[in-house]
Amino acid sequence: MKRSVILFSAVLALVLVAAGCGGSSKKSSTTSTTASGGTKGGVFIGLANAAPPGSPDPQVNYTAQEWQLLIMTHDGLVGFKRASGTEGTKIVPDLAESIPKPTNGGKTWTFKLRSGIKFSNGQTLTGNDVKATFVRLFKIGDSPNAGTWYNVIQGGDGCVKTPASCTLDKGITVNGNTVTFHLARQDPEFLDQLAMPFVLILPASTPDKNVNIPPAGTGPYKWVQYAPTKQIKLVRNPFFKEWSKDAQPAGNPDVILQKFGLSVEAEVTAVENNQADWMFDPPPADRLNEMGTKYANRVHINPLTATYYFAFNVNEPPFNNLKARQGVNFATDRNALVKITGGPKLAVPTCQVLPPNFPGYQQYCPYTKNPSAKWTAPDLTKAKQLIAASGTKGASVKVNTDTTDTDKALGLYFVGLLRSLGYKATLQALSSDIQYSYIQNSKNHVQFAFSDWYQDYPAASDFLNILLGCGSIHPNSNSSPNIAQFCDKGIQAKMTQAASTGITDPAAANKQWAQVDKEVTDQAPWVSMYNPKYVDFLSTRVKGYQFSPQWFFLIAQSSVK
Amino acid sequence: MAEFAFEPESDQVHLAPGETPREIQGKSPWQLAGRRLVRNRIAMASLGLFLLIVVLCLLAPVYAHHIAHTDPFASNISGTTVVNGKRVDIIQQGGGGLGLGETPIGPTWQTNYFVGADNSGRDVMARTLYGGRNSLEIGVSSAVLCCLIALVLGVIAGFFRRTTDAILSRTMDLIWAFPVYLLAISLATVLLTKENGLQWGPIHISSSSLWVTTTIIAIVYVPYVYRPVRGEVLSVREKEYVEASVSQGASNWRLMFAEILPNIITTVIVLLPLMIATTVLTESALSFLGIGVQPPQASWGTIIDDGQALLYTRPAVAIVPGIFIVATVLSLNVLGDGVRDALDPRAKVRVRE
Amino acid sequence: MTAFIVRRLIGLVVVLFAISVLTFLIFFAIPGVDPSRQLAGRNPDPATIAAVKHQFGLDRPLPIRYLLMMKRLFISRDLVSYGNQALKVVPTIWAATPVTFSLVFGAAVIWIVFSILLGLLAVVFKGTFIDPLIMILALIGISMPVFWLGEVVNLITQSPNRSVIWSWVPPLGYVPLTQNPWQWFLHLILPWITLSILYIGFYARVLRGSLLEVQNEDYVRTARAKGLSPRGVLVRHMLRTSLITFVSLFGLDFGVLVGGGALLTEVVFALPGVGLLTYHSLQSLDLPVIMATVLYGAFFITIMNAIVDVVYARLDPRIRPS
Repeated sequence: MKRSVILFSAVLALVLVAAGCGGSSKKSSTTSTTASGGTKGGVFIGLANAAPPGSPDPQVNYTAQEWQLLIMTHDGLVGFKRASGTEGTKIVPDLAESIPKPTNGGKTWTFKLRSGIKFSNGQTLTGNDVKATFVRLFKIGDSPNAGTWYNVIQGGDGCVKTPASCTLDKGITVNGNTVTFHLARQDPEFLDQLAMPFVLILPASTPDKNVNIPPAGTGPYKWVQYAPTKQIKLVRNPFFKEWSKDAQPAGNPDVILQKFGLSVEAEVTAVENNQADWMFDPPPADRLNEMGTKYANRVHINPLTATYYFAFNVNEPPFNNLKARQGVNFATDRNALVKITGGPKLAVPTCQVLPPNFPGYQQYCPYTKNPSAKWTAPDLTKAKQLIAASGTKGASVKVNTDTTDTDKALGLYFVGLLRSLGYKATLQALSSDIQYSYIQNSKNHVQFAFSDWYQDYPAASDFLNILLGCGSIHPNSNSSPNIAQFCDKGIQAKMTQAASTGITDPAAANKQWAQVDKEVTDQAPWVSMYNPKYVDFLSTRVKGYQFSPQWFFLIAQSSVK
Repeated sequence: MAEFAFEPESDQVHLAPGETPREIQGKSPWQLAGRRLVRNRIAMASLGLFLLIVVLCLLAPVYAHHIAHTDPFASNISGTTVVNGKRVDIIQQGGGGLGLGETPIGPTWQTNYFVGADNSGRDVMARTLYGGRNSLEIGVSSAVLCCLIALVLGVIAGFFRRTTDAILSRTMDLIWAFPVYLLAISLATVLLTKENGLQWGPIHISSSSLWVTTTIIAIVYVPYVYRPVRGEVLSVREKEYVEASVSQGASNWRLMFAEILPNIITTVIVLLPLMIATTVLTESALSFLGIGVQPPQASWGTIIDDGQALLYTRPAVAIVPGIFIVATVLSLNVLGDGVRDALDPRAKVRVRE
Repeated sequence: MTAFIVRRLIGLVVVLFAISVLTFLIFFAIPGVDPSRQLAGRNPDPATIAAVKHQFGLDRPLPIRYLLMMKRLFISRDLVSYGNQALKVVPTIWAATPVTFSLVFGAAVIWIVFSILLGLLAVVFKGTFIDPLIMILALIGISMPVFWLGEVVNLITQSPNRSVIWSWVPPLGYVPLTQNPWQWFLHLILPWITLSILYIGFYARVLRGSLLEVQNEDYVRTARAKGLSPRGVLVRHMLRTSLITFVSLFGLDFGVLVGGGALLTEVVFALPGVGLLTYHSLQSLDLPVIMATVLYGAFFITIMNAIVDVVYARLDPRIRPS
């Protein structure tokens, strides 16, 4: 998924009427500590510049901002373990009692639901709710990945074509608390996709149209207010009883708020003064030094499984020439790019597609001065040689980026670099809201464009196949995530091979994906820049901070008392 | 203001003993106005200030190449420079235990990076001078364009009255109520995304052209100049010398250009410096919001925008271009007052009517 | 008079219609804009985009879409933003209006009081150094870009290194009057001053010019001849006539500001009013909100235009509405 859904909801969405600026925290009078750790009680006050953009419907919303809250109010059949580090990438059973082994050549998955789990409206969870959730996913018509992930369920393709008549009677069979999925083909990522918020289980009574506030869920909290102009408010779900500490631990705060409307600068000041507990938005560049010196013990920095890059268009001159692409890669000073984004503490240079700590990642960098797996320095001599050999010198290049300060500075850097390499480079900075669709559409003939990608779930194909696979090229469409238009038959075959190996032997598959990563990097469809880090800034009240690589700051597991 | 007081021409000639009277040489109204303006010391001083700013900005390349030895347009993230004999990074890493953030160098008060660098490591002083060229170019050309259009339309409306006037005046209402920011943002985007800019027959506008911003600002202020022009035309129309021309059989065009136009041209001349001041302010506002001058071009407004992210750490980036704007606009306003007093010292303050 | 009002009302409707059509057309002329893509969220497959297009009626011809949008905006008032589907446009504008009104009214009070004061002082002390001093200050006030002045104010009062004198200044933002009047005031006092400085300068000069012009009129000399003191003459006769121009200009400026012209002040001080809403909707190309804010602004500007013409005509019988 794209960074903008995580970090740009503040910049893109509307600024709306503010709630009280840095209001006082209301403390509950009950205090108790439980065996699960952390003091219960209190009100957790988070700040965000704006509400998560898009629809609030949990089956449609594609923002990390809302996902971070949905995991506290809803559950899926399975989930990512609520832990930090690599533990947090493991899939554990949530509403299901255990993770089944698929039968019928991997095409049949049978889940047995735990009994006695209730929604926040008092209804008891049954298999019918599960089936209804999946049917609704297709019926509402605008769920982003219905047609790419969940159409693996039998009948799914038909449901995408005619949502109104979707029943999934062949795809999902229910017997009391046992739910069986019949897939059209094997899918090694099925469990990951079941853990995604699109298929968090909703009551069967949820209407088939987009809702304006997430409906009742089975989690420890429930949504009581979603006012995009004011705040989001979550309170305790009275019917919740913890059934799995790994999958859905009981929450510590009594109330969780996310208030909207403050400028990002004001948010930093509010957290500094303990008027709020946490801010969702990344801190502005001019406050970083202050935060890193005066408030260092309240700043938490964690690596993100994301890659920032500039994509060449391998079908447009001058970068339809491999030597030209490799030359630019050799010339790029990734340290300068890291500096633009805030320094080496906030980003790590990279030459390849996959981010560190990701399945299939093996550090690899051919575009550095001293041959090594790690990038150390640019090699301008080699770069100039390659570009001279390519015969593309003097070509006009438009460097496309968006208008935010950092991305514009990145674009400016490349304009200077390309000019020094002999190209006639100019900058084309578009508003963030149209830049991403613009660069995907082949009609626009972009040559060199800024983009980024954050994981959906920890699977190498989520990067390599979606961004550089032949199937992701849709000509003349605003939705064609393979911006580089890279399609190599040999490499594609290796991707398919790795995907099917993954069904039976994930470890071997990861080795194959690492090989794919290497070969793609050698073809240089991108200039990979860096892997960013996430900054969480907290008040002195917050204890028990944990960062999950999948969901980021685990709010419910921290305490504010 | 005391300094703007009108000094009456004495029509008494004192002859020295033995001197013969000379023939009185009449001065045209323009010459008289010129004399009054030149005698106005404050107006001349502000004209001097304005010209000084113009010259400084025109000399931007000289400053950048020969004095500062910096490139105000190229990204210079990893560069270094010499301050007080020591070589320092232009963009420096944050301190403290966490070492977060990267801050550009602050004012060195030397020839290189006189007031510091911006987020891309560029010399702010050099950029401000280059930016001034664009700001002044847009300001002057849009004001001139605006006054020309408003003059023509105002004369036509005031002269023909009735339907023509009604249509033109309602169109002016429409323009005045129109969202200038929407127009600016959409035109800026269209230009950016078309591959080779816009092409209308022989006219080619590239994406880095300043003409889009110039035209938008010019059109937006036409109603402002149109109203007083039209008001003047309406009153001049009734004057005797116009009636005399009509009775002599003059055609409409002759009337408009030979009789009415010369008598209202002073209205426009008085408004011109004030309009330049207004257009410079508007251009800086549009550029500040990101919908005026587009990168890689710079203007005072875009530099202030760049300075927003650095406001608390490197305030010079936001403050220096603003000082230039204030100086330019102030000098134009004072000059405008002087021109008005010179052309008609008993004139009312020009207001919308 | 009635005929005049009716004519201007018709003019208002025509202007609003023309602006709404222009806005609609300009928006869809922007390349890269694809509302269905925006509404469909991130990385949808092409089938989803097509489904969304149909759901929102985006595959129908432009005139129908225009009419649908106008109906949703004015009649059923359930127009929804492209950026966030839980956001109803009309209530959002209503919620932003008090912020803009608070900002503009407060600034207006300050600028009226101070500009009248300064204009009077300049005339009373004409011939001494006070007059040119006030006029230079006024000119400087007019010459500062309001967004730059706001940034300077922020630098002084909001900076983490600010002096202790400014510790009373709250962080940027807005607190509703009904929620906490004192905080409402504290949050707005600096934006008020910033916004009004420009207008104080302008109106002080206007008033001074009008007063000087009126000084030689017959009725003033009559009043003096009758024995009225200079100050009495100033206040009772000159000021009233001079205020005609003042009032008409004020109406026009006020209309522009209330209609969203205080955008720059709202951006710099992070006040969530109509101006800031306009700016963000333009940046995110959110047509429903753009349309609503543009029409809101055009409405106020045009109506104040008409009101000012009427008031001017009534106050000054020499001018008849043309």
